[in-house]
Amino acid sequence: MSQSTMPLTPLERLSGWALAGFAALTAIFLIAPILAILPLGFSDGEFLVYPIRHFSMKWMEAFFASEKWAVAVKNSFFIGALSAAIATVLGTMAAVGLARHDFFGKKLITGLVLSPLVVPIVIYAVGLYFFFAPLGLTQTYTGIVLAHAALGSPFVVVTVGASLAGFDHNLMRAAASLGAPPMLAFRRVMLPLVLPGVVTGALFAFAASFDEVVTVLFLAAPDQRTIPREMFSGLRESLSPIIAAASIVMMATAIVLLIAVELLKRRAERMRNEA
Amino acid sequence: MTDVTAAERDLVRAHARAERGRRWTAFFLVAPLFVFLIFTFLVPIGDMLRRSFMDGDVASVWPQTVAVTRAWDGSGEAPAALWPALAADIKASAASDTVAVAARRLNYAIDGGRTLVMKAARRLAKIETPPNGDWRAVFADLDETWVAPKTAAAIRRASGPVTDFYLLAALDLRKTDAGAIVTTPEKDRIYRTVLWRTFSVSGMVTLFALLIGYPYAYLMTRSSKRVAGVMTVFVLLPFWTSLLVRTAAWIVLLQEHGILNDLLMRIGLIDHPLRLIFNRVGVVVAMTHVLLPFMVLPLAAVMKGIRPETVRAARSLGATPMTAFRRIYFPQTLPGVAAGALLVFISAIGYYITPALVGGADDQMLSWFIAFFVNDTINWGLAAALGVVLLACTTVLSVVYAKIATGRRFA
Amino acid sequence: MKKPVAVGGERDLAHAPTLVTFQGVSKTYDGKVHVVKSLDLTIAKGEFLTLLGPSGSGKTTCLMMLAGFEVPTSGEIYLGDWALSKKPPHERGIGMVFQNYALFPHMTIAENIAFPLEVRGMNRASVKEKVTRALDMVRLPQVADRKPSQLSGGQQQRIALARALVFEPELVLMDEPLGALDKQLREHMQYEIRSLHMSLGLTMVYVTHDQTEALTMSDRIAVFAGGHIRQCADPRKLYEEPSDGLVATFVGESNRFDGAITGRDGDVVTVTTAAGTRLRAAAIDVGSEGSAAVIVRPENVRVGAAASGLDDTIAGRVADVVYHGDHLQVHIAAEGLDVVAKQSARDVVAPRPGDEIVFGFSTAHARAYDPARTDH
Repeated sequence: MSQSTMPLTPLERLSGWALAGFAALTAIFLIAPILAILPLGFSDGEFLVYPIRHFSMKWMEAFFASEKWAVAVKNSFFIGALSAAIATVLGTMAAVGLARHDFFGKKLITGLVLSPLVVPIVIYAVGLYFFFAPLGLTQTYTGIVLAHAALGSPFVVVTVGASLAGFDHNLMRAAASLGAPPMLAFRRVMLPLVLPGVVTGALFAFAASFDEVVTVLFLAAPDQRTIPREMFSGLRESLSPIIAAASIVMMATAIVLLIAVELLKRRAERMRNEA
Repeated sequence: MTDVTAAERDLVRAHARAERGRRWTAFFLVAPLFVFLIFTFLVPIGDMLRRSFMDGDVASVWPQTVAVTRAWDGSGEAPAALWPALAADIKASAASDTVAVAARRLNYAIDGGRTLVMKAARRLAKIETPPNGDWRAVFADLDETWVAPKTAAAIRRASGPVTDFYLLAALDLRKTDAGAIVTTPEKDRIYRTVLWRTFSVSGMVTLFALLIGYPYAYLMTRSSKRVAGVMTVFVLLPFWTSLLVRTAAWIVLLQEHGILNDLLMRIGLIDHPLRLIFNRVGVVVAMTHVLLPFMVLPLAAVMKGIRPETVRAARSLGATPMTAFRRIYFPQTLPGVAAGALLVFISAIGYYITPALVGGADDQMLSWFIAFFVNDTINWGLAAALGVVLLACTTVLSVVYAKIATGRRFA
Repeated sequence: MKKPVAVGGERDLAHAPTLVTFQGVSKTYDGKVHVVKSLDLTIAKGEFLTLLGPSGSGKTTCLMMLAGFEVPTSGEIYLGDWALSKKPPHERGIGMVFQNYALFPHMTIAENIAFPLEVRGMNRASVKEKVTRALDMVRLPQVADRKPSQLSGGQQQRIALARALVFEPELVLMDEPLGALDKQLREHMQYEIRSLHMSLGLTMVYVTHDQTEALTMSDRIAVFAGGHIRQCADPRKLYEEPSDGLVATFVGESNRFDGAITGRDGDVVTVTTAAGTRLRAAAIDVGSEGSAAVIVRPENVRVGAAASGLDDTIAGRVADVVYHGDHLQVHIAAEGLDVVAKQSARDVVAPRPGDEIVFGFSTAHARAYDPARTDH
């Protein structure tokens, strides 16, 4: 496994194997729990436990037939898409602005723009709960979308910022020297090159919203369901295999997002190598 | 000649304008997000934290009483004007159903304050005018506590508009009647325990994540491209998987009749199922799993940047593998260790969902208490004060993290 | 030197109309340190002007101000009759070749070259024709559909050139365009750029820190140091009659002898070194007293018998003889200095290391400068 070409002492060889074994255990620790829950979606039992006596599509069917879950799925995708769209537009603009020129208070603004990444979510959710109530934004989708857009925006700023960091600003100068006005140069030269970063940021923002439950718990009306919210209450109350069915849907989404982001990363790396 | 200098001055001004223009462009690009976050993020959080020192509850329902107490310096006997004002306020607030607001607030300031106020509200409603016009006697008759000097002082301290009560309470401190800050008696201490618990759980999670993550990240950066790719997927898949799915998964694994207990019993290692969930073990295991990617990814990023030649050079200079690791490799990974550990720790101290779902009553951390005080006991002041404590910790650690992260970029 | 030195006066630019004028241009970023200080410079139509200087001397800033990527703090730059301060870069119509070519990595070569034509709204047919012609001009017609990353450094260089020339700008700027190429390719490209310059009748402003490149390519060279132009002249004059010590030591190789002026006779001063040797040298920017730096080119140092009868002679010991193919470099330890003499490789008796010898130079080849204006 090691790429080292040096001759190894027996002790080194032994510790090499020990390391590999330890890493294998870590890999199991990382992945096994996630895989363990998925088959329960095909159980015919009443509870979220093994062993599965008979496989059945009962809970999967229940999941897709349930009005409650259907609303939750629809809401989760809708809120995720809308908040990611807002976060992407605002975040991309901000990242471009922060990338070049120094201006007064830039450090402070950068700090604020990134702070949703670290502020404990409960503090934020409680703050919104108090602040949105007099504005009539609690128990509305608007309130949740605004909250999720705020939570997703730093991901966009970071990913677009990262792709701008690898961007050769001479390209913009070259475009200007060749006669392209600033907006045209942005559209034809900068945007295509940072697009992987923009899309990656959008996917991160979507994932952040798709998985977010705390602000939803504080802001949503009782009938404003999302998948994580239904899972949260399901885990507190019934522990029924329908949670495993929901997990399968969440996992499928996660895998799609993971693959999309990895492909974009490769694309961006290729572009960087070409530049 | 003067014309030339005037023209030059214009030019200088024009150039300065052009430079400023570029800065403004940058600023205008950032402004929309900045403004958006001020209104959807900064102000809501500020609004919440403000409640940790704002104290308007009593003043909002007992205006006459507060007018008297604010004019009084708090020493000696309560002013005579207090009693008629208090009686009038209690009656008025009982009539408008707002007396509970004051009762709740006074309950923090006076032992049994809620009962005291609610009882008075019921009794006073029947009294139009006091015998001899002496409201103080009426209150003394209701309960001796009313006329004790410290009660009037407590009402005065609860009169607002600001108070240090909640912030002190969040650290298990309180002010004596004499105004000295003392520690709450041991049996009543709650929040220091919670704070310590929050830090110790987060510390344990960080430590485990580091112990597990370091060798994993090391192997990830040393392996062939294909193996490294698989190892990366094993980190990224949990990373992208919903927190709730992962928490649910740990419930499935660790519960009494869960997979792990089942397995251990089948092997014959144990006779009865172990209690692995709804306790500290469950919280630490699940949180370590959830946060492990945040340790591995920054570690791997730093390790990828370490040139293997440095270790080879150490070996060629006579260092044993162990010495080469300890003196050459490990020090170079320290920025990654610091970044990963801070990232995990910062995330961990704010955790709410995972402890709430897989922890027991004694495993709940600061975030849970904040939510609890908002939702269940409606003690917003204390919720906000705990929020201040949590946010202060987070902010300090984030600044340290930012210093390390930018330091690395420029290094 | 493989390429013939381009000699000023070969092309008569004295009567060519002026294309670019820098008028009292200054640039400062922080309000204190001037990167460029009240610079005046005119560039004639059809001229190949090189801005030469060490990094941080202000040459690149000048180029950037001309291109429009930096704004002068004061002063004005004129292109023809236009004052440029109010013109954004994309309206200046100046072609530019960047240090690392700045080819757009997501576009093909043809798309890169078509870019300036498209943004000018040219119709498809003419764009296609001009792109083809541009590719032919740089002799790379086969790469049209490739991405920049698929080309070698030299090919990318030529594409960058084609892209900067395709919209037929009057003025072309080049910012160290050959810096990333290896020596042989660089010399080849120098030749190609020079012939393009001549055949298209372009005006070129070329920034480099490589003095050989500057000498071989330019009609005129402006030597920058500390935000000033120290000398602006054709290559021969610059090399043979540098106006101050810094130019003398920066352009070409040189030996330097420091000493005190102990006498002056017309344009000739006598400089006495610390070791007591008296050198007679042409006074360039020195008075009749104070210290002086005597600068002598290695090819003007005569060794051994050839040195006898020269005005200035010094005794030394040969430290090393280095063979360079077309010449020998003799390193002589004398007066605590390492003096270099260039000798033809065909010399019958080459000195050997350890030989005690005498070397010298004529007064005409020894030039005395003010040391304060010699140090970089």
